[in-house]
Amino acid sequence: MYLNLLLAFALLTALLFAVPVRWKAPITAVVTAILSVVAAVPAVKALASGTTTEITRMQGPVFGEESIAVDPLSGLFLIIIAVTSVAAVLYSCGYMKHYYGKKPPVQFSLHYTAFAALVASMMMVVTSSGGFSFLFGWEMMTIASFLLILFDAQRPEVLRAALTYLIMMHVGFVFLVAGFAGIDAVCGSAGFDCLPRCYASRHTLSLFVIFLIGFGMKAGIFPMHVWLPEAHPAAPSHVSALMSGVMIKTGVYGVIRVAGAITEVGQLHTGGIILLAAGIVTGLWGAVQAAAQNDAKRLLAYSSMENVGIIFIALGVAALGAGADDPVVASIALCGALLHTFNHSLFKSLLYFGTGNLYSQMHTTLLDRFGGTAKRMPVTAALFLLATAAICALPPLNGFAGEFLIYLGLLDSVSNGVNVLYAAGGITALALIGGIVLLAFAKLFGVVFLGTPRHRSVHSVTEVDGLRLASMAIPAAGIVLAGLLPQYAVRMVSAAAAEFSPAAVYLVEANVAPTLTRVSLTAFLLIIAVALLYTVKVRAQRRRTLSHGPTWGCGFTAPDTRMQYTGESFAEGLESLASTFNSDIVEGRVVDKGEIFPPAVRNYNVRHKDRVGRLFSAWWIEMLRLINQRIMRLRTGKINNYIFFALMFLVLIFVLSLFNII
Amino acid sequence: MLIKTLLNTLLMAAVAIAIPGVINRLRARMAGRKGAPFFQHLRDARLLAAKGSVYSDTTTLLFRVAPAVYLGAAAVALLFIPVADLEPLISFEGDIICFAYTLALARAALVLAAMDTGSSFEGMGASREALYGALVEPALMIGFATLAMFCGYTSFAEIFAVKQSFDLHLTLVMLLAAYLFLRITFVEAGRMPVEDPRTHLELTMIHEVMCLDYSGIDMLMIRLGGWLKTAAFAMIAADAAATVTCFRWWFATPLAILLTGVSVAVVESTQARNKLSRNTTFMVTLSALAALIFFIGYLLQLDINI
Repeated sequence: MYLNLLLAFALLTALLFAVPVRWKAPITAVVTAILSVVAAVPAVKALASGTTTEITRMQGPVFGEESIAVDPLSGLFLIIIAVTSVAAVLYSCGYMKHYYGKKPPVQFSLHYTAFAALVASMMMVVTSSGGFSFLFGWEMMTIASFLLILFDAQRPEVLRAALTYLIMMHVGFVFLVAGFAGIDAVCGSAGFDCLPRCYASRHTLSLFVIFLIGFGMKAGIFPMHVWLPEAHPAAPSHVSALMSGVMIKTGVYGVIRVAGAITEVGQLHTGGIILLAAGIVTGLWGAVQAAAQNDAKRLLAYSSMENVGIIFIALGVAALGAGADDPVVASIALCGALLHTFNHSLFKSLLYFGTGNLYSQMHTTLLDRFGGTAKRMPVTAALFLLATAAICALPPLNGFAGEFLIYLGLLDSVSNGVNVLYAAGGITALALIGGIVLLAFAKLFGVVFLGTPRHRSVHSVTEVDGLRLASMAIPAAGIVLAGLLPQYAVRMVSAAAAEFSPAAVYLVEANVAPTLTRVSLTAFLLIIAVALLYTVKVRAQRRRTLSHGPTWGCGFTAPDTRMQYTGESFAEGLESLASTFNSDIVEGRVVDKGEIFPPAVRNYNVRHKDRVGRLFSAWWIEMLRLINQRIMRLRTGKINNYIFFALMFLVLIFVLSLFNII
Repeated sequence: MLIKTLLNTLLMAAVAIAIPGVINRLRARMAGRKGAPFFQHLRDARLLAAKGSVYSDTTTLLFRVAPAVYLGAAAVALLFIPVADLEPLISFEGDIICFAYTLALARAALVLAAMDTGSSFEGMGASREALYGALVEPALMIGFATLAMFCGYTSFAEIFAVKQSFDLHLTLVMLLAAYLFLRITFVEAGRMPVEDPRTHLELTMIHEVMCLDYSGIDMLMIRLGGWLKTAAFAMIAADAAATVTCFRWWFATPLAILLTGVSVAVVESTQARNKLSRNTTFMVTLSALAALIFFIGYLLQLDINI
């Protein structure tokens, strides 16, 4: 199995390295499309029928027998991976064009090889039954994404981000290995299906927390999110889209698998509280940090963190509901979590594609360089607006459908009188997150696309090629469809939810889908109302005089584009409230209140750094460096020393075996 | 059934029209002026409808669509609210969430339209509105959660229809909730002490400053949307109060008009507007108040003798 996989992969690599530059992207697109179709067939079957299709079964080298199988949960994640991967690879066909000639072809080969490897490994991760094949896929995913981030490696910050990412992922990997070894120790094999037996025997919570840390590293749970705002801006946009929209969800997938195996009521309760607390802190931290960022990609990265927080809030409530023996709350919240996972992959990839369009035109993603871009890139702006509205959970788009279910789970928990205070905490956090996200994305869209250009280079911006816009239409279509017809979207996830909450399918059919049909009708009513009002207005205005002029300056006659609100000033109010969470890096001096007319042009630059992020990265990079230095002393380069080390090793083994330790 | 729904919608529209009239009349009387006629604001509206519009060259299509979105969303949000024992047009499990997010859509439309003009003043208004919206959202949702907890339902129509024989706990929680929603109405309607709609200095405005570039029909739509939004919140507060007193439409309608109309007029006649930096404290206090009410409700529901 592994051999065949590696062989096929080597063939693909050889092919990619052999063909000329402009063929590399299309070939990867074809490979990705084939992979997606092959994966989508059993996925759709699993979701439609709720059954499991076993693809292959093999003997792993370490953890015993394993299988590759598609059950409904795998199916859902396979579909998420397939849709976003196809969109991302199509997007890259257009996006990478402006790198042709600027970079050696070998870099493109490496990039696309890694891309195909990332897609394949993500599919492997979500279909593996656990143990060795899971870890194999997981590690391949990490390495592939590391190579993908490295595409622009001549920029020093990219190299640093990629290394941070690699280190953090491997720390997470160690936890996962420990977790699987823990299962193996109890059951003799390390599949997820052994988890219930393992939980029943001993120390559920420690095993759960070990897995939570391992998966949380990928998902970006506070305080392990540090790599997110570094790696996403460093990677090319289609890679950020794939990583942020899909790859971090493999962490969510893992947590669902691990948490879903808990059956004992008290443990479910504790696990639920842990998940809920992690979700609340992650979500709020991500939202507040997102609002403070002045770089589009960093903002989006923090927003991914905030969305993971929302998903975890929903998972926590689902676990709490299951622990309190309330299948309604458990099913609705779990459906909400899964639907939000699906939705987020759509709008986040669309947002990253949009940012990629901006970057390819302006070569920057700093918000305050833009302004008035909507007039020059109308299609990009419209699609970006769609994704913005969806991520703010505004009706009638898909983000609302997902958050509606999560709220409904929380409110049902409150109204049924189970875990009232925990659910109320979730509601408060979700409401606050929702409000702050609206602020953050109003800032992002408003500063980038609206108003007047803040920099002369905006005047030369043009709309990007049709291929990129077409690939953006894939997630856009999903956003609109899942938003207008949420009753069908929820049926898609209900089979996956039923794996952990058996009542889900019935409840969704009997209860949730009819409610969502009403939501859908309301959405149509809203659209009709707005369309009607707009038409009436336009018709009425035909009989009235319409004129154009400059923006009203409140009597001031010499307005300047620099007087516009910038990203920094837009979020100033929130930042002053949340200043304790940031450590600001300030360059230059603020204009003093006394100086109405400052004597000279003065630069003032402030960057908001995540307090946790700095603390963390400084702390462990420094520590690793020190440890590395110590170990490097052993590398003397003298052969006699090395022989001595080997001898010491043998002596050590001997002594240990004497005392029956190994 | 159909007639009840129709009556419900008409009454809501009546409330929306009556509240500004009551506020203006009462405020004038309290200031010792004779004041404009009760329906002056409708005449102003007609005037706006007849006017042409000036559009800034900076703006895009978004600026022209935004008023329609604002009014449309406010109108749809209004359809969720029952007038005491009448039935609203739209009612389903979880419609309180739909209500909150439809109004968030209205807010987002205006905020983005304000950013579209590229004006520093309107950017300022947008920034403030987005921040205050974010801060008032938890208060609103905890308020709803309190109702959901105490009544066991998640839709307005069912929540307010809960009426046992006289229950001291329910009365207490409902009255507290009515007070909370009334305070939220002040924020959402852009009234004192959060904001002074009569101010003439752009630097101190919030809601008004976002609409500086609107004129004619667009301005009218925004005005109407504002009235509808106020009416929706006023009716929620009135419903909460009516549930424990007299749960009939002929009682709730005047209650909504008077409760909001009188309290807004009295506050605006007697208090000064908050310093802008104090506004955030006001909102956070609102959320704290909501949390407190929720907790009181929780304790009362546990039936601990206090």
